Amino acid sequence: MGRVFLITLEGNVYSCKHCQTHLAVAEDIMSKLFHCKHGKAYLFDKVENVTVGEKEDRIMMTGLHTVVDIFCVRCGSIVGWKYEAAKEKGQKYKEGKYILERFKILGPDGSNCSVR
Amino acid sequence: MAGPLASQREGEMIGSKGIIQKVEFVRIIAEALYSLGFEKTGAQLEEESGIPLHSSNVNLFMQQILDGNWDESVITLRKIGLLDETIVKLASFAILEQKFLELLDREKIKDALKTLRTEIAPLCINKERVHELSMCILFPSQHLLLEFPHQDVGRTKSRPKLLEEIQKLLPPMVMIPERRLEHLVEQALNLQVGSCVFHNSLDREMSLLTDHWCGREQVPSQTLQVLQEHYDEVWFLQFSHNGKYLASSSSDRSTIIWEVSWNGRVSLKHRLHGHQKPVSYVSWSPHDDQLLTCGVEEVVRRWDVSSGHCLCIYVKGGLGLVSCAWSPDGKWVFTGIADESICMWDLDGKQLQCWKGQRTVRNSDLEVTSDGKHIVTKCKEAAVLLLDREEKTEKLIEEIQTINSFSLSRDNKFLLVNLLNQEIHLWNIEGDPKLIAKYKGHKCSRFFIRSCFGGLQQSFIASGSEDSQVYIWHKDSGELVKALPGHAGAVNCVSWNPANPHMLASASDDRTIRIWGLKNQLDSKQEKAQSNGIHYCNGGT
Repeated sequence: MGRVFLITLEGNVYSCKHCQTHLAVAEDIMSKLFHCKHGKAYLFDKVENVTVGEKEDRIMMTGLHTVVDIFCVRCGSIVGWKYEAAKEKGQKYKEGKYILERFKILGPDGSNCSVR
Repeated sequence: MAGPLASQREGEMIGSKGIIQKVEFVRIIAEALYSLGFEKTGAQLEEESGIPLHSSNVNLFMQQILDGNWDESVITLRKIGLLDETIVKLASFAILEQKFLELLDREKIKDALKTLRTEIAPLCINKERVHELSMCILFPSQHLLLEFPHQDVGRTKSRPKLLEEIQKLLPPMVMIPERRLEHLVEQALNLQVGSCVFHNSLDREMSLLTDHWCGREQVPSQTLQVLQEHYDEVWFLQFSHNGKYLASSSSDRSTIIWEVSWNGRVSLKHRLHGHQKPVSYVSWSPHDDQLLTCGVEEVVRRWDVSSGHCLCIYVKGGLGLVSCAWSPDGKWVFTGIADESICMWDLDGKQLQCWKGQRTVRNSDLEVTSDGKHIVTKCKEAAVLLLDREEKTEKLIEEIQTINSFSLSRDNKFLLVNLLNQEIHLWNIEGDPKLIAKYKGHKCSRFFIRSCFGGLQQSFIASGSEDSQVYIWHKDSGELVKALPGHAGAVNCVSWNPANPHMLASASDDRTIRIWGLKNQLDSKQEKAQSNGIHYCNGGT
């Protein structure tokens, strides 16, 4: 499917569970207190090697947000989402940031997280 | 029929915009006739129109110069109107200098000295030159050896040449510049070419009879051939410098060398097997006799083009090689390594030099400028480094978005950068790097997609795209000229034949290579090539 363009990250790297493609580094974690359907999720400032899906308006626990799903660029599995816009002022800090679902990724030590 | 008197013509304008003075127009036509050697016709025109090319004094002056009647010519010079004193002095100087040099040539030293002292020096201009001339008297043999800045080494200039130089000093109204009409016509032709947006035809095809205009049909847009010899996705291809060969590399781990025949047909010459990984890049040696191929984080192999044999394998124990390039003298090979260093090797596979410490990144290309001075590579995800081999200077081209691939122009003046945000940026890298153009419309967000310069004078930019089309933009205007459908999978790489402005090749995930050309090159026998009966989906096996 073409020669996939991949960026190699340095440091404590979080990678895709299925194909080990680098996604983000621990230094860019903004919060570990998020949740999604499958369990814990982390908010990252920056994420690499992902492609985005269609914009969607979703009602979440914290209110209405416009998000795009993000997919691993190599194997295509869904790994989380990106906040494009937040309706409430208090949630604006999330705009442009990414959520990676802990269940979908491997931590820097290679560990995974089982479903709750 | 004899025309009215010249005085009645003064101020008469012709042409659709009324900006051409009739008198000037007729005069330059007369000059053109004389320049072409049509003396009688020229004289006829002057008579019939009543517009003399030059005043009688100027004619006399010109004749006197050609005959070498120096003293008389200086006198006539003063009789010509419209000249200010400085011009008269400069022209007189030129004439008398010629007189002096010709006297020296005939070894009339005394007369020459007299001219210098009593005629040239009193003009009180160009004193340095006067000194140079006096040196000629003291050292007559030196006259032949001294280099005079204004004329050929040691030789007295010819009289027509002198006349040409004087003509440049005098106002054009007085003496029409030689070949003025030719000059105006050339200017018009150059302007036509300059404003010809899709200019992609050879200049010798220009005619005076119609305005020059290359339509979009001068840009390749028709599939002439579909090459189906790879067993998997074709990731890279490139024409040789002389345009006679094409090399393509694939995820099927092989490289193919194709031959381009005189009539533009491309045929398979060699299959190169040996890599254990997909081949991501090839590089032609400066004389096109050898080829470097790079396996993805594997080894680099050097091949002989005529025999197809592998001549050398470049290995760095335990580390994968990620890119390769030739030195412009063909003696050394440069490679990027997975540990972010760059190595230089000799032809036998021995490592000579290594630049360590994050000089390149694992997904970067590597190129060397044709003067051999700079290595061009991505040093960060969003920056390209021009590294001076002696590490004295470094130039950085910085982008805001991640750089996917880049391409150096043949003249080393421009860098074309493909970005992951689906834009292609053109940088001028002479002096301080400057962003000069952006090209958009194609798709590039997941794969390595390459672009290139092409066409006559490299005035077009072509790129592959994830939407299976080949995109072509006009370099200067940024306008999208063509989006060519045909491939059934992402187009990973394009290459424009450097020797044929009408031939473009594209490599795709659909396992084929397409050769694109002009519409009228396709004859009825080749129409089969247009429909791509093969269909491979992205990700399909």
